[in-house]
This record gives sequence, structure tokens and C-alpha cells, in this order.
Amino acid sequence: MDPDDLDSRLAALEARAPGRDDPPELPRSRRRGLLATPLVLAPVLLLALVASAAAGGAVVATLVQSTEGVQNPGQPLEGANLECMTPPEAAAYLAARGFTDVVWQVETGDIEGKAGSTVQVATPPDHGYVVPGAILSDGKLYMVVDQRTGATGGGTCPDLPMP
Amino acid sequence: METTGRLALPAATAEGTGAHSVAAGSRNDPDAFEAAVGPHYGPLTRRLTVVLGNEHDAEDVAQDAYLRAFRSWDRFDGADVRAWLYTIALRLAFNHVRRRRRWLGILVRTEPAPWTDPSDPDLWGALRGLDGRTRAALLLNVLDGYTHREIAAMFEVPEGTVASWISRGRAALRAELGQR
Repeated sequence: MDPDDLDSRLAALEARAPGRDDPPELPRSRRRGLLATPLVLAPVLLLALVASAAAGGAVVATLVQSTEGVQNPGQPLEGANLECMTPPEAAAYLAARGFTDVVWQVETGDIEGKAGSTVQVATPPDHGYVVPGAILSDGKLYMVVDQRTGATGGGTCPDLPMP
Repeated sequence: METTGRLALPAATAEGTGAHSVAAGSRNDPDAFEAAVGPHYGPLTRRLTVVLGNEHDAEDVAQDAYLRAFRSWDRFDGADVRAWLYTIALRLAFNHVRRRRRWLGILVRTEPAPWTDPSDPDLWGALRGLDGRTRAALLLNVLDGYTHREIAAMFEVPEGTVASWISRGRAALRAELGQR
């Protein structure tokens, strides 16, 4: 059998094999999850701007500092990898480090934005992805939990099954 | 036949100059992922159909591989996106076959393929006689031009093993097709 003949016959065989050209939809929750944090912060930042206009530069500096992402480099929760924990585990971790005033913002629905809702509660939900990027504002720590259908893990735990 | 294909995994062997390479700056962007990886999805499903001998299993594995690739996109070395996607998919395919064997307790058999070329029905019959790894290695070498070394990196086996698979695969096909 001529090798070239085999090559062309294999190519013809594979070309006739059934296959789908349209790939599956990609989950884009990580993008949306990250976008959610600035939305949460919008009223806080607005208050900060108003206060700064009234009280001067020193107050501005204080407020800006107070809304620092606590998981950023140099901040108290740097390297905590909260996104790898369940919400109750994250709550226990935070409590052990003095973060007792935590607002849990729970995102539900699906990643396409259908029938979704956002609620803020004082107790950690039982399940859902803890979205990286916790924010400390006015002494409260804001944690976002993504329970949307089709959501995926983020940060250092992208392959984590939904807790 | 040893050919001069492009790089494959692991990244340490990558040359990074192939037509399937991806710019480093686009690796956190889902749209960039779809643009770079999406065009390989159709050929991948056809390859998996031939390797697994079953279009439904092929589609399941292809979807799984595509989504896993997306989740690992930020870790892709940017070199040869086709080799990277095929490596993920073929490893999943072989795990898929192993699971079926373990749980069903039966020999996994490929199905008769109504899509084979009516003018060349013997080829599929001969290919069905090869195990999945040999079939996959042969196709990667013959159709895609990957070298034995590159295929060895994809399957995490020694280069000599791949050479043996391809040599024996070709010999088996020659013998099978020669008898018909």
C-alpha cells in the first residue's frame, strides 16, 4: 500500500466524519463577577466624593483608604484565597481575623442574566462561589457570592466545583 | 514517517512560531479564546469521532475539552493552540474509554460508521482494528504532521512508544487492507 495513498484516504475519511462546528457557549461569570464589585461600590464612592467636597483633602484620603480591596497586595487579606473556600469557611476565616461585620452579597439567576437577583444578607449563604475582591467600606467587609447557574470559580481556584 | 510538525506540549518543547500560536496579551479574554480556539472545534470533533468511533461520545468529549481549555486559558503557553486543545481532548477521550471499560465491564467497541466513504469502506474497517491511542497517534502524525517527539509529549509517553504505535499501526493497516 502506497503511504501517500493511506494519507489521502485517512484525510478523506476524517473529512467525512460527523462533527459540530459550533463550539459550546463559554461561561463568562468571571467577567461579570468582577464587574459586580464596582457596582456594589458605586454608592460608597459617591458618598466619598460628596464627603470629600465638604470636608477637604484629609477626609478624601481617609475614605479612599477605607475602600481599599483587602485582598490587594499589602492588605490584610492578601493571599487568603477566599475564592477557594465555601462561604461558611470564608466566614470562619474572616471571623478568626477580626472581620465580624460582613455583608454577603448573593448573586442568583444564571450567567446570561436571566431571572437574576442580588441580595445582601448578614449571614453567609450555604453555597456558591466566593468571588475574589473583598472590599472594606466603613468598617463593613463586602463579600460577593456567586450562585448563578453556569458560574465558575475564579482567582486561584478556577476549576473549583460550585461549593 | 518522521515529519517536521510544529510544537506540542509541554511548553518547554515549544517553538512558538506556528500558524496556531496566540498573542500573550489576549489570554484573559473570552473573545480572544473563541477567536483562537473556536476554529479548531469542528476539526476536533471529527478527529474524536474517528478516534472514539462514536460521534456522540466525540461531541461530549469535545465540549468538555473546550470548556476545560477555556478554564485553563490563562495558563496556555501561547504556542500551538491546536496541539494544546487536541492534547486536552485526546487525554479526556482516553479517560472516557477507560471509564466505560471499568464501569460497563465490557470491551469498548467502535460502531459501524455510516459516514465512511462508500468508495473506501475497508479503511474504516481496518482502523477499527487499532486501539484508540494508536489511531490517534497515527492521525496526528499522518494528517497533522506532528513528530513522534511532539506526540509523545501530548500523551506523556516515551518517544519510542509513539514510534512503535505508529509503525505497528501502519503495518496493521497495510496487512488488513492488503487482504481485502
